[in-house]
Amino acid sequence: MTERTIIAVGSRAAPYHANGRLFDGQSPVAQPVALSFDDAAKTLVIATDEGDIAHQWPFESLRRVPGAAADQLVVSSTDAGDARLHMPGGDARLIRTRAPKLDRRHLRVRRGRLAGLVVAAVAAVALMLAVLVPALADRLANYLPPEGEAALGEATLAQVRNALGDALMGPLPMCDGPEGLEALAALQDRLSPEADVTVRVLDHPMVNAFALPGGVVILFDGLIQTADSAEEVAAVLAHETGHVVARDPTRTALRSAGSIGVLDLLFGDFAGGAMVLFLTERIISASYTQEAEAAADSYAHEALARASISPAAIATLFERIKAERGDADPIVQHFLAHPAMADRIEAARAAVPEGQRTEPALSDAAWAGLRAICD
Amino acid sequence: MSVDEVAPVAFAGRRGSLMALALRVGLLTLATLGVYRFWGRTRLRRWYWSAVQPGGDPLEYTGDGAEKFAGFLMAVCVLALWLGVVNLLLMFVSLSWLAAPWLAYVLSVVGLIPVWAYARYRARAYMLARTRWRGIRFGMAPGAAGYAGRVCLHGMFTLATLGALWPRMTFKLEKYRTDRTYFGTLRLHQGGQWTILLPAYTPVLVCGAFALASLLLAATSTPRMVWLAVPFGIGALYGIVRYRVLSIRLMAEAKTAGGLSLIATPDPVRVARIVGFGWLAITIVLALPLIGAAFVYALAPAGRIELLLATDPTNPLALLALALFLILYFGLFVAYGVLRHGLITMPLWRHYAESLTVTGTSALAAVRQRDRQAAPEAGGLAEALDIGAAI
Ligand SMILES: [Zn+2]
Repeated sequence: MTERTIIAVGSRAAPYHANGRLFDGQSPVAQPVALSFDDAAKTLVIATDEGDIAHQWPFESLRRVPGAAADQLVVSSTDAGDARLHMPGGDARLIRTRAPKLDRRHLRVRRGRLAGLVVAAVAAVALMLAVLVPALADRLANYLPPEGEAALGEATLAQVRNALGDALMGPLPMCDGPEGLEALAALQDRLSPEADVTVRVLDHPMVNAFALPGGVVILFDGLIQTADSAEEVAAVLAHETGHVVARDPTRTALRSAGSIGVLDLLFGDFAGGAMVLFLTERIISASYTQEAEAAADSYAHEALARASISPAAIATLFERIKAERGDADPIVQHFLAHPAMADRIEAARAAVPEGQRTEPALSDAAWAGLRAICD
Repeated sequence: MSVDEVAPVAFAGRRGSLMALALRVGLLTLATLGVYRFWGRTRLRRWYWSAVQPGGDPLEYTGDGAEKFAGFLMAVCVLALWLGVVNLLLMFVSLSWLAAPWLAYVLSVVGLIPVWAYARYRARAYMLARTRWRGIRFGMAPGAAGYAGRVCLHGMFTLATLGALWPRMTFKLEKYRTDRTYFGTLRLHQGGQWTILLPAYTPVLVCGAFALASLLLAATSTPRMVWLAVPFGIGALYGIVRYRVLSIRLMAEAKTAGGLSLIATPDPVRVARIVGFGWLAITIVLALPLIGAAFVYALAPAGRIELLLATDPTNPLALLALALFLILYFGLFVAYGVLRHGLITMPLWRHYAESLTVTGTSALAAVRQRDRQAAPEAGGLAEALDIGAAI
């Protein structure tokens, strides 16, 4: 095996020194062949046992069939269709020095077709996520019965609590200080007696609030601790109630139910978990349209005015958060980041009724109870 | 039978080269946000195929990554539209009728079963069309829709009989696939009856029934009976592994093609050992960094990391924590792929390959090449639905 030398020969068949097995591409029965190189004509000469030249494969046309095993070399030729030549693996070096394109791959798909398909797939997904799912979700949200909305809200809340909780401690806990819950219920009843809304507090330092389908408003403890007064909490509550009444969160949750399957499809196994986190983030940051935000704002202004609480409270809260923490804060994103929304602080101030006689949103004792709701 | 009519199957791949390949593929898949997985799977298939060598001649996989990617994109175009609208409607119906989302989850999974079976058949047809041995192509006749129908039908029979008709499903589906499989012009044939699988299945039925009975007794009258379910449960679990190995063996030995047939001797104990030790080793290796991370997390001041992430996401310490978390998450993902190939998939392939012998090879002289099948969809549907995650 190691003693074999392969001699370059002239254009005639000459002594052959390597043996191989040829499969002609028509039958799976091997033909024993003798191999040599014709370096003048730049061909691999394949001869039968009797010494007749059966094939001459140009060096340029030789391709190696990639394989895991090193003990044999399988070679094909772009000139010879399905034929395969099996030869000892030790000859790989001799072939390699002669065949310049030995490791080149045959491309079966044209680049242009692939690019076209990428565009088509991106367009189909974009159409689905940006047009069809939202349009359908917005229609269906109007026909969803209250029990259905409540169930959707519960499922969404569980998803949020799991995403913000951790593996060791389980889902994020809800706060249930009795004085605090009582204070929130009373405040909510005073703001929107006609709306059936439940307010819950999540034990998390994030300064944020969001609404869920089925009349649930979630405040983070971080918001309560950051607020200077009960009025500021009341203003946020009124705004989120505005979203609940307009069914904005129902639409968002239905959209995400339609989107999650599509997004799952695109990213294989490993990004699936990240996708769920991304959608949860969407729910918490609750980026609704500009019109939806304006409608929630004006609902809040009216509700606050009716309850004898100054709508300007929201302005003081957000100005302070913005000054302390900058634009990147999630709640600033929700309330202020939209270009037109810088005006919303002004609008809140302008919404203070002339000569409004305000009453405290909560008694000092109730406010203290609310601040201690997560203790 | 003369010696030259027998072709034992050899397995020639080395674990090290496979794990190095799986590592490269995993890292590239990560770096390209998953796009490389089509090329990666093709490279892995090429490795596995060429390692399997009936009669000393390697199988050849001629599929290519771009072709797979194109097939996936075609499937996405169709599935994106279908999945978005159907999931949304199912969720709406489930919420309006039951005021609960579970029906939507169940229906969206059940509704995928026929699609899944259809995709599996198409993927197998593509895989065979891109497989060669001694230069001759394999192939599969069309029949994906019929296969999907049979999967649903036999699945229902099996469910309705609480699993008693499982062997019938195993056999009939294998026969449907085998009878449509070709090597060149030679058509394969699955002989035998579904009842040949019954002896191998009986222990599963018996252990399963006893485990179920002890659970029922424990739930209704004698709580202590629950302990009896443990040995029977373990017995049923091993019984399932044993059944799977033996059914492959029994059905392989009943397959013929012209004068060709197979001798198959895979060993259930060996397979159970490979799978059991493989999973144990993977769990231990992957758990170590997780335990380390949990330890660091526990040492950090309570709630400090979440607080930073939530309130000041641009703080360098928060960024460091986030980066470490991402490295851990994706590192574990890549490590899992590498270990599974090296410790489970490859040893299983090697065992199944080495326990197989092709007999009556003189019949190969009658085989001729078959035409190249165009397969524009290239198993893309299966890829999009994430079927056949092994390779
Ligand atoms: Zn809002």
